[in-house]
Amino acid sequence: MTVHDSQELEGEMAELIVASLRLEVAPSAIDPEAPLFGDGLGLDSIDALEIALAISKRYGFQLRSDDEHNHNIFANLRALAAHVEKHRAR
Amino acid sequence: MSWTAQRQRGGGWLGVMAAIALGMGWHLAQALLYPITLVYLASSPPRMRRASRHYLARALGREPRLRDLWRLYFTFAATLLDRAYLLTGRTAGYAITIEGLDAMRQHALAGRGCILLGAHFGSFDALRSIGGADAPVEIRILMHRHMADAAHALFNALDPSRARDIISLGNPAAMIEASECLARGGVIGILGDRAPRGERMLSVPFLGREAPFPGGPLQLAAILGAPVLLCFGTWLGPRRYALRFEPFAERVTLDRAAREAALGEWLARYAVRLEAMCRAHPFNWFNFYDFWQEEQPA
Repeated sequence: MTVHDSQELEGEMAELIVASLRLEVAPSAIDPEAPLFGDGLGLDSIDALEIALAISKRYGFQLRSDDEHNHNIFANLRALAAHVEKHRAR
Repeated sequence: MSWTAQRQRGGGWLGVMAAIALGMGWHLAQALLYPITLVYLASSPPRMRRASRHYLARALGREPRLRDLWRLYFTFAATLLDRAYLLTGRTAGYAITIEGLDAMRQHALAGRGCILLGAHFGSFDALRSIGGADAPVEIRILMHRHMADAAHALFNALDPSRARDIISLGNPAAMIEASECLARGGVIGILGDRAPRGERMLSVPFLGREAPFPGGPLQLAAILGAPVLLCFGTWLGPRRYALRFEPFAERVTLDRAAREAALGEWLARYAVRLEAMCRAHPFNWFNFYDFWQEEQPA
């Protein structure tokens, strides 16, 4: 995967997050390295569920609660996109 | 003092009660409830007592007396003591009547998960007793982080195998975990009258005045399309509880265009039922903070 590809996926997922959570920020305004939960974008675990459902619909795989890497996966947009890139079925 | 700090106080008392219950057995622990309540009441901050008086005045429909305050705190202490037993399924010696279990059994038989929406009312842990009432389903409870930590400590002392029954809301994957449980036909218990700091709150009428309630539990139900039942475990007397299940919503739908308003309507329905329970059993509701936000911030 090239740097260009990963940036493209990050952009696509920023749009997915903004759309599924009906956030009032521009997708391009999401800093890929800023925390998604708590400070930063300020999402909560309900938002995480909506993101997980949107990801499963779009990329064809489930985020699982028992994944030991969850803490890292949900850290920020970049980490989430990297996880999706690795596991996506479509 | 915020309720976050008060909650930790409750968590500490939970540990004390569990230690007493374990060390001395239920009967001695029950006898100790009187001095414990006295100390708890005498040492509780004025703000907390004021908040309790405000609540009692609303629920009783009259000015509360010291005796009423005593009953509220005593009932709270009694449910904490029972918690050590109920949470770990040690329900022998308890007389627990169950009403409305069929509604839940239907969902379980259909292999459908459901959400049990409770409140900080009586003992939600009484629902553990349905494990012995022919309803063998996976039951997991969503808890705020501090309570989850206290409960985990309790489990580790009493019954480590039950520790996974608690899902801590401190974790971003908490709701994903809840959805997996529902997908397996399990039951998710949530207390709907308090929220962790920062959660979106909506104000709805409750006991005569608007009060903020968290939107999260019903949002979860809407996102997953899970049926919702109300669940109240009322403390009636020493080791006596009345557990009650009520159908609430086959499906919570939130109109996309008017989400907030729709969520508010569902919450208002929940608040109506909670209000009725509080009026019927005024000493069973345990939110010892400025619930209606009537006081000016310090």
